[in-house]
Parts: sequence; C-alpha cells; structure tokens
Amino acid sequence: MKKIDKSAYQARLDRITELFENMATHATEQSSFRCPYKNRFNECTAVFGCRNQRKPKKENGLLLCGGDDKLNYQNAWEEGQKPSYHLGWDQSKQAKNESNTTSTQTMNINQTVFDLADSLAVKIPTSCFRTGICHECIVEINQGMEGLVPRTESESFLEGDYRLACQAQVINPDINITFTPLHRKPKILTLAKEKDIALEPVVERHGDNVLYDGEVIDQYRGNLYGLAIDLGTTTVVINFINLETGQSVHLRSFENPQRFGGSSIMHRISYDGKYEGELRKAIINAINKEIEDWCNQAGIRRQEIYEIVVAGNTTMRELFFRLNVQSIGQKPYKSLIEKEYLSGARQTTSLTIGTRRLGLRANPKARVYGAPIIASHVGGDVASDMVAVELATRPGISMLVDVGTNTEVVVAGNGRIITASCPAGPAFEGGGIKYGMPGYEGAIESIKWQDGSFNYNTIGNTAPVGICGSGLIDLLAELRTHNMMSPKGVFSDRKQYELSIVNHAGISFSRQDASNLAQAKAANYCGQYIVMRAFGVSPSQVDQLFLAGGFANYVDINNAIAIGFLPPVPEERIIKVGNASVQGAREILLSRSQRQSINELVRNIEHIELETTPDFFDIFVEACQFKPMPKVLT
Amino acid sequence: MPELNDITNSFIKDEIDEFIERNDERFHLIEAFSQADPRLQDISAALIDGDNTTVDKLTKEALDVGFEALEIMDNGLIIAMSIVGIKFRENFIFVPEVLACARAMKAGMSHIEPILSASGIKPVGTVIMGTVKGDLHDIGKNLCIMMLRGAGFEVHDLGVDTSEDEFMDAVEEHGAPLLGMSALLTTTMPNMGKTIDTFIDNDMREDVKIMVGGASVTQEFSDDMGADGTAADAVGCVGLAKTLLEELKREQGE
Repeated sequence: MKKIDKSAYQARLDRITELFENMATHATEQSSFRCPYKNRFNECTAVFGCRNQRKPKKENGLLLCGGDDKLNYQNAWEEGQKPSYHLGWDQSKQAKNESNTTSTQTMNINQTVFDLADSLAVKIPTSCFRTGICHECIVEINQGMEGLVPRTESESFLEGDYRLACQAQVINPDINITFTPLHRKPKILTLAKEKDIALEPVVERHGDNVLYDGEVIDQYRGNLYGLAIDLGTTTVVINFINLETGQSVHLRSFENPQRFGGSSIMHRISYDGKYEGELRKAIINAINKEIEDWCNQAGIRRQEIYEIVVAGNTTMRELFFRLNVQSIGQKPYKSLIEKEYLSGARQTTSLTIGTRRLGLRANPKARVYGAPIIASHVGGDVASDMVAVELATRPGISMLVDVGTNTEVVVAGNGRIITASCPAGPAFEGGGIKYGMPGYEGAIESIKWQDGSFNYNTIGNTAPVGICGSGLIDLLAELRTHNMMSPKGVFSDRKQYELSIVNHAGISFSRQDASNLAQAKAANYCGQYIVMRAFGVSPSQVDQLFLAGGFANYVDINNAIAIGFLPPVPEERIIKVGNASVQGAREILLSRSQRQSINELVRNIEHIELETTPDFFDIFVEACQFKPMPKVLT
Repeated sequence: MPELNDITNSFIKDEIDEFIERNDERFHLIEAFSQADPRLQDISAALIDGDNTTVDKLTKEALDVGFEALEIMDNGLIIAMSIVGIKFRENFIFVPEVLACARAMKAGMSHIEPILSASGIKPVGTVIMGTVKGDLHDIGKNLCIMMLRGAGFEVHDLGVDTSEDEFMDAVEEHGAPLLGMSALLTTTMPNMGKTIDTFIDNDMREDVKIMVGGASVTQEFSDDMGADGTAADAVGCVGLAKTLLEELKREQGE
C-alpha cells in the first residue's frame, strides 16, 4: 500500500470541509422552520418525546411527525419524556385527546377559537379580518361550548354547535375545547365529454427525442404528459393529459388554498401587498402536492410532464407567475404584463416560463404557459372559455357569461367581440346575508313555495344550516312569483322585516338580505346589460348564451331570468357548459393553432370598464330591482 | 462526451437523473462516474443510501484488492458526498439522512485511518463529544462531530445523557485534549458546570480544553461555567476546536 502524501490528504480534507460547511449552513437555515429530527418520510428520529409524535406506519417503525413546518417545532418537544405518540389534531376527524400531557394549548380568557386554531396550525379562512361579517370561519364546536361566550349578534344566524371562530371567545379556560372547521366539500364540476381536436401539441416525440417547440429537451421516457389547470379564485381544477393521445387521464380539483389571504381578488391583492409571496407559495405547494400524489398513484415520474397550461383570471395568474399584482388593484386595473403589451414592449399578454423558475415539480425543462389576459381583470380563464365554446367562430351572436367569484361577460359576432368584468361580490356565496353560506354541506340549494310553506333540498341532504347562491336565487324568484315580495325587496306586509324560511332551524330572510342580494345581482345585470348594449344587441337577438363556471351550473335558469340575474334569452338557447376554462386550457395545451388563434383573437377584444359608462348609476339603480331585464335594450 | 447511460451503477444513474438538475453539476458527476471503477461506484451508491455497513465492507474489500486510499476517497466517498450535499440543498433529503450518510463516510474512512497512521499522518486532534446528563437532544452535537471529522479530528461520541464520570473516563482513556459538551435545555445546562467542577476536583482541568454548545449557550454562560469557549454553530465549532488546541499546546510548552 502506497503511503499517503500529507498535502494530498489535506486537499481532500479541505474539500470535505467545504462540502460539510455548505451542508451545515443549509441545516441551520432549514431548521429555522423544519425540525431537524424529521427525516424525508416525515418520521421522527429523536430519542425524546414530542407532542407532534404520531403513530408509526408500521408496527416497529419510527414514529411519524405530525408537525407542520409553520409552527415552532421546539415548542412541541417534551422535556424528560420518552417518545410516545399523541392522537393530536387530525383536521378531518374529530380530535380525541388521550395524552396525559397538555396536548391542547392552554387557553386564556378572551382568546377566540380562531386564536386556538392559529396555535394548532389549523387554517380557517376569513376575508373580513375576523370581524364577523364574511361568515367564512364557521366551525363546529364538538366539545366545550360552555367554555365560550354566548353567541354574539353576528353569529345569530348559527345554531346548534356552530360558531364563528372569530367571535367565539373563551370565558372559562379550564374547559377543554374541541372543534372542526366546516367540512368543506364544495360542489366542484367534473368534465363533460372531451372534444375531439386535431393533435398538434407544442411537445412532441421524434424517435427517441422529446421536443418542445422544435427544441430537443429530453430523451423519451415512455410517456408525454401535460397539465391543463383552471386556476380559479375559489377552486382549482387540474386535468392530466396524455400529449400523444390527447386523452385526459386524470382530473383533480381542490379548494384554492389562497383563501387564507381572503376570498375576493381585491383582498388577495391587498394581502399580497402585506405578506408578499405567501399566496404564491401556497398555490405552488398545493399543485406540487397534487402532481406528486398523482405520479405516485399512476406510477408515473414527474419528469414525464413536459408542459403546464394555466388559465386563470389576471390576478390569479400573475400571482402564480411571481409578478407584483398591486397595479391590478388600482385604476385602471391593469397588470404589469398588460401594461407592457399596451406600450408595445411585449407582443402578447400570454406568458411562458420554465417550470423550475416557478418551483413546479415537473420535468426540469418543462414550461408553463399562461393563457393570455384579455384586459384588466378579464384574464386567461375567459380566453380559455372562448376557446372551449368556440365563441368567436359561431354564426350569429354568441354570448358567454362566466359567473364565479367575479362575473365576466363576452358578446361576440360579426367579427366583433366586447367584454367586461364585474365583481359578483360575496352575497351569492353567503357573505353579508344573515343565513347565507357557500355551497357546502347543509346549504339549501333549491327551494320552492308550495301549499303555504317552503320545500327545499340541501347539499349533502343534511339538516339545513343556511342558504347558498342557487337557493337564494330560487328564493327570490319564488317570493316574486307568489307576490310575497315587491321588485324592490319589500315584503307583502310592508312592516315585516323578516320572513321565516325554515322555522325549526331558525333560518329567515330579511329586507336587509334582499337589499344586499339586489346590489350583487345588479352588478351582474349591469355587466351583461352594458356589454350587450355596447354591442348593439338585445337579449332576444342572442343566438347562443353560454353559461360557464361553478355557480351557474346549479342555478335554475328560469328563476335567474325572472329576477334579472340573467338576460331573457330564450331558454333553449342557453347552454350550461360547466368548467369551460379547463376544457379550453386542454385545447390550448394540445393544439398550436388554437394557441396561436386565441392570442390573435384577444388583441381585438374591446374591453368596457363598467364604472366609466356614463349612465352606469342609472342602470345600476334599475338593476337593483328583482325583475327581468327588458327584452329590448335602449 | 460521457453520457448518463455510460454509468454502470444503476442506482447512481437514477440518483443523478432524479435529483441533479443543474447542468454543470450533472455534467461533472456524469463525467466522474462514467469513468469510475464499478467497485467504487458501489461504495458511492451505499454512501448515498446512508448504508454504513455496506460502505464499511466494500471499502475494506477495495483496499484489499489494491485500490489506493486517495482514489477510494475521491471516487468512492467524496464524490458521493457531493451528491448528498446537492440533494440536501434542494430539500430532497433532510438532516437525519445527511447524518446517516456522514456515518457511512466515517465507516469507510475507518479503514483508511490505519494507512494514514502508517504514512505519518496524525489526526489534527482528539475530541470527546457528548450531550449532558438528562438531555436527549443531539442534532447539534452530531453536526459538529460531522464537521470535526471532516476537518481531520478524531472524535469519540459518547451520545446523549452522558454523566460527568463518563466524560472523565473517556478523556482519560483517549488522552483527549478536547472535550465538547452539548445541552439544549436550560435545565440541563448546569450539568456542564458540574462536569467541569469534577475535572477540577480530579486535577484534570489543566490537561484538557473544554468547549460547550447548545441553542441557549452564550459566551457569558460559558464563562460562568468555567468552560474555555463556545461557538454558535457546527462550522464555528471546528474553528474553536483548532484555536483551543493551539492554546493548549502553547500552555503545555510543546
């Protein structure tokens, strides 16, 4: 054995030291949020006890870590205790506290259930800064109701074990409190039958090579996959597509986790101004998780994903693409990209960027394509809708109304296209309506007045807790049809303030509720009215009206027309298309020519800013009445 | 130009494919591994996998069949460690995995140490490390040990919950000039002082330099306890160890 030369050895030591120093530095950084005893399988390698320890997967395996990387993990370490596992907080099930140490947080008087949730890293949404108005923080108290103050005024719409987390304060800290956030099963649309389109994706296989727009980026691994994502403000839908066959192989949807920054666009813009990057991280992480889950399920490697198409409204898209969104929140509501396009610095408002730049886990050379913004808030999701319904190439006059967290309207025909967007406001999701709520279990989704009382159906067929948007539209229409309410929202007994809807559940409907709904409806009405009028067309002249979006799919069309929520287009010409945005994104993913044509199309779309319309206010006032839009617009 | 498929060890190939995304790093690694002898690739694979038993076995075998020590270090151990570093940097693996790989490296190095001795290369110094009595936290200590070994120190790890007697016995047995004690809990930190007092009582304090560490340990605390110094992190630990060693040598007039 040859002797080792001292300086040669020292050189190796220096190299090792360099490697280890980098690792030690990274370890310090990483352990500022992630417990260093947690390995890559989220198992605990510590020899001491910790409140985050959970039952191991296998009988003699390592304990699992239940900690999320947002709270100080050191606080969970238990001094002087051997490892054991705690049943802890499992967010989807009720928590049973069996540990003999304090697994719940000790509460102080006046802390709210929201504070408790914060300390347990349970996320509860709010968009009214926890002031009791938005109704998004509904929780079910499983144990300890008596330790909380009685229901406050803003909680008076809740019964049974339900409280608003932001209002329910502790008065007796010795009573254990257990709660679960409202079981969130939103009605998320699934895909209709897939359109057959000519396959000419940007990602192709030539022999052993994989090409992106003609450039070799990889060796063929057996499959070419792409993702079409509808990046909704409230709900995100991901469609996994085989790029060689055009078939959709999987569909996933989930609530947009950015809800913690608020449920409306303006709130999220404001939140992003204060806590930059949080919203983006949340959505990127959520999407990466979905990709990871699907890859595991399907036995596919993420390296086989070569392109991701994202269709979302302007704010959602720009947040996703790491851009500053503050300009979208202020007049004239233009994103930085749109400004560049208008000044000529950019050819198109669509965006392409490498997935690695955004932190997305796909093939390292994969790209993300953001469908083009049309104007201001009218974004790639509407462009995508237009692709899906072929709005611009149909004969006659076509109209598209996409009712979501915002409502967008497009009228097209004879080579002309006009669009506008209006904030639908939270009323049809329950915000500001005493017994209103989003489309979750327990919401009355349809209702009729029959033989002197209200008959209704609830989501999930469980006991009614409140009324969601489609239910509210039915209710308004029924009240009008049976002359129980005037167009201005006054009940037939003019002195009556409140009507009982479901007596045993205490659900009622007030004049204030009607007034709030009137304004929300009016916004929708104005958008549709003004765009149609600018185009020079009356509702009766519309040949096709496409209704897109989650909410529109469940609405009773006749009732919606009766109260002026939708224009009086003949019913047979109204087509509910469901989630057209993800369908359009799929086409953009699979077809170069669609991609090109939508980019050209958006250049010629006229955008109307509703507020600058001179008679906007007059129209709005008229629109506040619960009656149909006129058949001929003046 | 060497390609991924030129690498014979399929584990290494998959590791590079899956985890190494930067072009320059990929290129460098593909180049190195496509030329490395399969036996060395096997050592690398076992190290990346954190398998110290296999690294131990294979390193011994490689030396027996005539591979040079430096070659084993370069193309078996260090190059593998660089992959570990990249995976860690990109958050594919975490501290427990890194420590497992460092242990695997140590297992390999244990067979190279006799050759170092025979070549007249001595360790920089000998250090006794442990977490004090009543305390079960060891990540910080383990990272320090990794750094110290990487810098050429011989380190004896007493583990957690170490009593004063155990510290003293180890210092005596190995003739170690350096002792490092770690404590996370404020409740166990006083045990450091107790250990130091024990050394004083047994007339051993002058023969050893004592360093202390832990999240709550400050310079002030170190002084109060009568220790010789503290450092903020694992990197600082190496510098401190070297400094204290120098000091001791001067004091002993070597």
